[in-house]
Amino acid sequence: MKNNLCTDIGYMSLTHYGEQLCGDHVEVVDKLDEGSCVVVLADGLGSGVKANILSILTSKMISTMVAADLPLESAVESIVQALPVCSERKIAYSTFTIIKIINNERAEIMQYENPKLIMLRDGENYEIPSSTVDICGKQISLSNVELKENDVFIAMSDGVEHAGAGNKYNFGWKREEIVSFIETLYGVGFTAKTLTAILLDETNKLYDYKPMDDATVCTIRIREREAVNLLFGPPSNPDDCSKMLSLFFAKHGKHIVSGGTTSKIVADFLKRPLTMNLLYHDPEIPPTASIDGVDLVTEGVVTINRVVEYAQDYVGENTRYEEWSRKQDGASIISRMLFEDATDVNFFVGRAINPAHQNPNLPIDFSIKMKLVENLSECLRKMGKRVIVNYF
Amino acid sequence: MIVTICLGSSCHVKGSREVVERLMELVNAHNLKDDVALEGSFCIGQCMKGVCVKVNGELYSISHDTVDAFFEEQILSHFATA
Repeated sequence: MKNNLCTDIGYMSLTHYGEQLCGDHVEVVDKLDEGSCVVVLADGLGSGVKANILSILTSKMISTMVAADLPLESAVESIVQALPVCSERKIAYSTFTIIKIINNERAEIMQYENPKLIMLRDGENYEIPSSTVDICGKQISLSNVELKENDVFIAMSDGVEHAGAGNKYNFGWKREEIVSFIETLYGVGFTAKTLTAILLDETNKLYDYKPMDDATVCTIRIREREAVNLLFGPPSNPDDCSKMLSLFFAKHGKHIVSGGTTSKIVADFLKRPLTMNLLYHDPEIPPTASIDGVDLVTEGVVTINRVVEYAQDYVGENTRYEEWSRKQDGASIISRMLFEDATDVNFFVGRAINPAHQNPNLPIDFSIKMKLVENLSECLRKMGKRVIVNYF
Repeated sequence: MIVTICLGSSCHVKGSREVVERLMELVNAHNLKDDVALEGSFCIGQCMKGVCVKVNGELYSISHDTVDAFFEEQILSHFATA
């Protein structure tokens, strides 16, 4: 990899009011080790099950072909010829936007009839230069952009632009208005997923919470890689302490220490005092502590359990964002560091069994610790992060 | 006088927060802010006795119901006789 950039991708959809299935589909094929990825947003004709199948077929087929290094034009040609024809409308298509990121250096973009891809560079609207090619009688727009850090791409289906039509706005939510809406949010440094959620929330609001079309947003942020390392539990063999901690602190990036005993070991290792806080920012989460040289020190299982809950919500509905995005309790701070700051997460998990916890009368089952790490890494991988788990 | 309350996972689940908050109230109510320092600690290693509270190296097992009595016997009495 030539630069230290990577992509942060987030997408969500609103489904046509009264429908069960969404007629838009986003497919991402990530080749993390090469720094390349393919993102396809397809909007199937109409709504409901037919649109759903069309959009999945289109996005899945294109992304698979492009990820296998087939040129974009050939992939598009195949899909145009392969799509089934609608028996009522006698036309066969789903509109699409394809973004292929190559080596995190440049992006190849192909668009067919979806709202034009929005791109922000240095926080401002950047009109992507494009040319048009004819593929099997369809006019397809083609672009090529060199990437810079903090570039933001926002692809959407026409359901976003139709929001509010005939109701709040005569002709829907105009592109310029969407662009300026996003420009005001750019500086905050929201993640791709959060930007997507905010944009769709607004869309939903303009529809009076009864979307008259499927609406999908897919955001891609180009950002620097950033590692966060999390130490959780002492090693099963006490002799491995200094080995584990040397490896942990040798890692680049931020360092989180989670667990009471663990933080005592770290304080001893660093020969620095461990200072406890008595402030409860969240009544259910134990206060944090601090050790000079560690970015964050928290209690273990109770805190991490909450982080897992937030993570599972974030990869799904993203309804608890308001909770963890600004609070100062340990779980919220860890969530921000892992979900927003980190692109790479390294877990250092100690398998020691706390003798003090080995009693069935205790209120929590401490064997859940390993499960917590598994669940958390699964969620983080779904967020597109590189996760490495080391056990000691 | 230093009073250390265990905030480890197990004591936390057993109600450290209620104990901390009640002790803070009592210390304030008796104007002992300058004499009694409340401190938190991660796991003291006596989870079965939680919520664990240490005064002068002595370990006490406290719950939400016994915190007032504990305060009177172990903290307030100390200042009454002094």
